[in-house]
Amino acid sequence: MIYRLYIAGYQQTEPNAAMTIGVTPASSFLFAPENPDYQAFKTNVLAGAELQDADGNVMTQEQANQFVGGLA
Amino acid sequence: MPIVLDGSQGISTPMYAGSITSNPVTPSVNMKNRIINGNMTIDQRNAGASVTPTNDAYTLDRWQVNISDNSKFTIQQSSTAPAGFKNSLLVTSSSAFSLAAGSYFVLDQKIEGFNTADLNFGTANAQTVTLSFWVRSSLTGTFGGVLRNSAENRSYPFTYTISSANTFEYKTVTVAGDTSGTWIGATNGVGLYVGFGLGVGATYSGTAGAWAGATYASATGATSVVSTNGATWYITGVQLEVGSTATSFDYRNYTTELQLCQRYLPAFNSANTFDYVGFGFTTGTTNAQMTFQYYVPPRVAPTGVTNSTASNFLFYYGPASHTVSAFTFVGGGSRMSIMNCTISGGPAGGTSGVLFANSATAQLLFTGCEL
Repeated sequence: MIYRLYIAGYQQTEPNAAMTIGVTPASSFLFAPENPDYQAFKTNVLAGAELQDADGNVMTQEQANQFVGGLA
Repeated sequence: MPIVLDGSQGISTPMYAGSITSNPVTPSVNMKNRIINGNMTIDQRNAGASVTPTNDAYTLDRWQVNISDNSKFTIQQSSTAPAGFKNSLLVTSSSAFSLAAGSYFVLDQKIEGFNTADLNFGTANAQTVTLSFWVRSSLTGTFGGVLRNSAENRSYPFTYTISSANTFEYKTVTVAGDTSGTWIGATNGVGLYVGFGLGVGATYSGTAGAWAGATYASATGATSVVSTNGATWYITGVQLEVGSTATSFDYRNYTTELQLCQRYLPAFNSANTFDYVGFGFTTGTTNAQMTFQYYVPPRVAPTGVTNSTASNFLFYYGPASHTVSAFTFVGGGSRMSIMNCTISGGPAGGTSGVLFANSATAQLLFTGCEL
């Protein structure tokens, strides 16, 4: 699974959502603890799934883990 | 139904006299049945397709699986059903899995607190409830299930027996309401959990027929469906009602049942090869923000969207239409959600338009509303 971060909503400046890349069905979701896709996102990234920043640059596993580790 | 003409009472129709036992369904009586989609007619996610669910995944609407190990069974909506019903939920075992003590495979429905608060569980006035259902399996024997609170520390394991293989049988389980423990009241959280065991190890199995201060998923000694490769288990007509007697299934019309489901899963499933989704406007030549208005207010605001092939949707603004290449969820409220649609070569920002689907399989599922 490949994920890409994005900024959702108004007056947001930092990525607060993510979307799946290259799969059907595709999912996009806010970083909301109750959202099942968000829960799977955290689990999958920590397990090694590719995470891209909002510009599409691939993050290292360390960067990805650090980012996900800082989420609620 | 008999009609009585009485000189003092006028004309009366004794309700259901002589008809209940012969007719498996009757019209809805104000949410008598606390289970939603108990007759398995609504399958917004998969439209009858077989799926191999992961833990906590929802299958047919409102029906979730809670499993310790993935890929041990498939689930799909089935047209095999007892008289009076059109559908059932079918579980097919994918292997002969040997249960460990901590294994659990459960099909469950979490009932919202607003729909169980009157049961008064956790008080001296707890109501007796009766669970009834039609079940069929390629296996025979004693099977199990459970009623549980949201904190998962009050459980009532129950058993039922399937006597004849591959034959639908009607089962009832009457449960004296729990007078202990903490049960949430009239909120949008989990009021009551109803589960059917498909294979549960010793750790999560308890003595049937009594409330216990423990986390159980089924009854001790119950048959494991997932332990026989190819075993089948069907269920439909699931009803949970107040009282000590099972009455006829609370058959709701399709629209009502669908709306009840959409409180937990707002969804767009294209009705034709051409169908409208919502309105919106461009924010530039490559993006359009489109709204989706729910048919009923969701339990909580959605926090995501899952879409089928994006190119099954187009942004149309009059002079031209532009194929969508990606969706991203922007935000959800109590009445509508907003999605960003990536397009190419669109009109300038601020141009209003319509999102429509050009495929009968186009689908949008708004996530985060399930219990």
